[in-house]
Amino acid sequence: MSKIEKALNKARTTGSLRVVSPQPLSHDKVTDDASAVSNMTALIEQRASVNEAIACMQEKSRLARPVLDQNRIIYPDLGENGAVRAFREIRTKVIQKSQGRNCVIMVTSVTAGGGSTFVALNLGVAFAFDAGKTALLLDCNFKNPSLHRLFGAGIFRGLTDYLENSDMDIAEIIHPVGIERLRIIPSGGRPEIPAEYFTSLKMKRLLDSVKQRYRERFILIDAPPMTQSADTQILAEMCDYVVLVVPYGRVTDSQVDACVKAIGDKKLLGVVFNNEPSPPTFTWQDFLNPLRALWQILFHRLKTTRAG
Amino acid sequence: MNLRPEQLVKVLVDEAFYYRKAFVVAFIVISLAILVFGLLWPKGYTAYSSIVVDDKKVIQPLMQGAAVTTDVADRGRLAREVIFGRKMMSHILEVGGWMKDNPSPIEQERIIQKITKQTTITNVGKDIIKVEYNDDDPQRAFKIVQKYTDLFISESLGAKSAESQAAYDFIHKETESYHDKLTKAEDQLKDFRSANLDARPGSDADIGTRLNQLQQRIEQATQELREAEVKKSSLEKQLSGEAEVTTTLSREGQFRSRIAELQSRLETLRLSYLDSYPDIIQIKHQITDLNQSIVEDRQRREAAKAAGRVIIDEGVINNPMYQQLKQELSQTRVSVEMLNARINEARRQLHSELELGKRVHGGEATLAELTRDYQVNRDIYQDLLKRRENARVSMNLDRDKQGLTIKIQEPATLPLSPSGLRFLHFVIAAPLLGVILPLGLIYARLRLDPRIRFGAVISEKLKLPLLTAVPHLWTPIEAQIIRREFQWISLAVTGTTLIFAVVIALRLMKMI
Repeated sequence: MSKIEKALNKARTTGSLRVVSPQPLSHDKVTDDASAVSNMTALIEQRASVNEAIACMQEKSRLARPVLDQNRIIYPDLGENGAVRAFREIRTKVIQKSQGRNCVIMVTSVTAGGGSTFVALNLGVAFAFDAGKTALLLDCNFKNPSLHRLFGAGIFRGLTDYLENSDMDIAEIIHPVGIERLRIIPSGGRPEIPAEYFTSLKMKRLLDSVKQRYRERFILIDAPPMTQSADTQILAEMCDYVVLVVPYGRVTDSQVDACVKAIGDKKLLGVVFNNEPSPPTFTWQDFLNPLRALWQILFHRLKTTRAG
Repeated sequence: MNLRPEQLVKVLVDEAFYYRKAFVVAFIVISLAILVFGLLWPKGYTAYSSIVVDDKKVIQPLMQGAAVTTDVADRGRLAREVIFGRKMMSHILEVGGWMKDNPSPIEQERIIQKITKQTTITNVGKDIIKVEYNDDDPQRAFKIVQKYTDLFISESLGAKSAESQAAYDFIHKETESYHDKLTKAEDQLKDFRSANLDARPGSDADIGTRLNQLQQRIEQATQELREAEVKKSSLEKQLSGEAEVTTTLSREGQFRSRIAELQSRLETLRLSYLDSYPDIIQIKHQITDLNQSIVEDRQRREAAKAAGRVIIDEGVINNPMYQQLKQELSQTRVSVEMLNARINEARRQLHSELELGKRVHGGEATLAELTRDYQVNRDIYQDLLKRRENARVSMNLDRDKQGLTIKIQEPATLPLSPSGLRFLHFVIAAPLLGVILPLGLIYARLRLDPRIRFGAVISEKLKLPLLTAVPHLWTPIEAQIIRREFQWISLAVTGTTLIFAVVIALRLMKMI
């Protein structure tokens, strides 16, 4: 635990983190009301201090909405968008299942391009909507990593670097992404590492430490598709829950069945049916009035030719 | 998994959106193709007329019960045979104006085939035949149907008249033949009756009664004869045992019985009185006197006997019983003779009656047969006479064309609007099929493709916990592209609609 302690010390010195002395959650037999009230007060204080600690997290400058839109990331202002509603629903179900405790959730797809990264990232964002919760996203899809694109240009150290390098500190690989309360561990610079690294003690420690760092932090692992990588099954062993992404019109019943059997009933949190086709929300009047559309197109052409 | 209707609609809409470009292209291509097809579709004018044909033929009601005719099942088929006959077709060729160019027989045959193909003869209901003819010229269609109807009716009526004439002839011939038969039967009956006078109906029964009576009489007489003979033998037996004369009681006997009587009286008196009693003494004296008398009588008889004289004893008389028996025997003998004579007479009569019976029985069978023949022939002849009169009336009706059983229900009219598929149908069908056919393809793909397209499949079929269904999240660029696409799509659809409008307008103005 020396690395974690080192990281904690570093955080303390930078002021980004205030360690709260852990209060015993398990109550002894409370005999009088006074002690119960004092316990409740302690809990509220603890919660407040956690929120305060979260509030003190160092954040990168927020990602602009166009960037979020471009990267298919939800944000609260989308309002009654179907996707926002869907991810909030998933978040609620996860919290219900874990009974409010933080947990490690692996998100994997049945087939490649099924949208596991999309689901994992937006589920993390949905967790981070809540000011009292944070989310950490691990990109374990080494063959086809995609989370690093959120950071723009530049090489960021990630998971493979950490697993390879014994001296590296966890804090070095956890990066803010520009979304409040969301942190990302990218896959790292080494594109291929043996699957055995997943079963290494270091990986296990990493998961434990990130899970315990904040009690309100939910850890999401973006795993490779089940049908394409054996690593996914190893990763599933190390997680608390698995969310299986089934893309619309791309997989059969038997494929889903095979994946569910590989995961096991106990770990399977549920299935997300992803990418249902639905037209984008725009005013239909634009399209129901073809003359106007024609006019718009002609006008656009006219303008461009004049400009030319 | 069977989708519910609302689920199916959602999946179809989703898929249609997914393949929006192909869908719109298919819509435009299909609808325009159908529109072009509709423009090229040849106009056809159909004229028709319906003819009512009475189902009952002349011969049927006339010969009902007496003869059965074959049933005519398909009137339309018969009509087809009449109409498509060579005779009728040559008329049609002339009416249709095809003979103007003097076509060769092969060409004529080809034209006839074409006409046959364009003619439809159907049975509408039981007795109505509908004749339809389709042609690109409404005038010609009308004329041909009119000609068809007229020719068919005149042909049928001619055939009908001939049929009723034939029916009359047939019945007339039959009547004549039965008349001959009846006359013959009458003659036979007459001859037989004159030959066999005894052979009357019921004579058989009379003979039977008489035979019974005779039999009874013979039996009775025989019985009486037997009794008489028994009586006769019995009388003869009695007569042999009876004496011709009988003796009455002799004088000596009379004395003796008197003595016995007195002796008994004496005994009685002695019980009460002594011998000295005067009555007893008197009786004793009387007895002694009687004994004396007996001795004297005996002596007198013996003296007579010795002298050889016959002494007629006043006690001998003729036996009355013998006389009576003799009389009865004589009567019985007469009666036996008489009964024998009666029996013989009855037997003779019986024999003659039997002979007569045999003769009458044979004659009666022949008579019954002859009578039966006569009656049957007479009944049929009378029936035929009635039918012949009916047939004559029917024939006259047909000859005068009064009993029309074929008439035009709906005469042919000049068709004003084209029949069959019209341009309007194509205009309506084009957009509908333009939408339905691609949707049908999508549906077929959904049926054949096992990949999951509906979230409910996961929860309901695979029984897995479905967290949620996440809709596609569009990036602004994608949304913009979609918007553009929709603009193009709506433009294309509008263009297609405009094409439709222009084509319809041109068609209405009869420019195309």
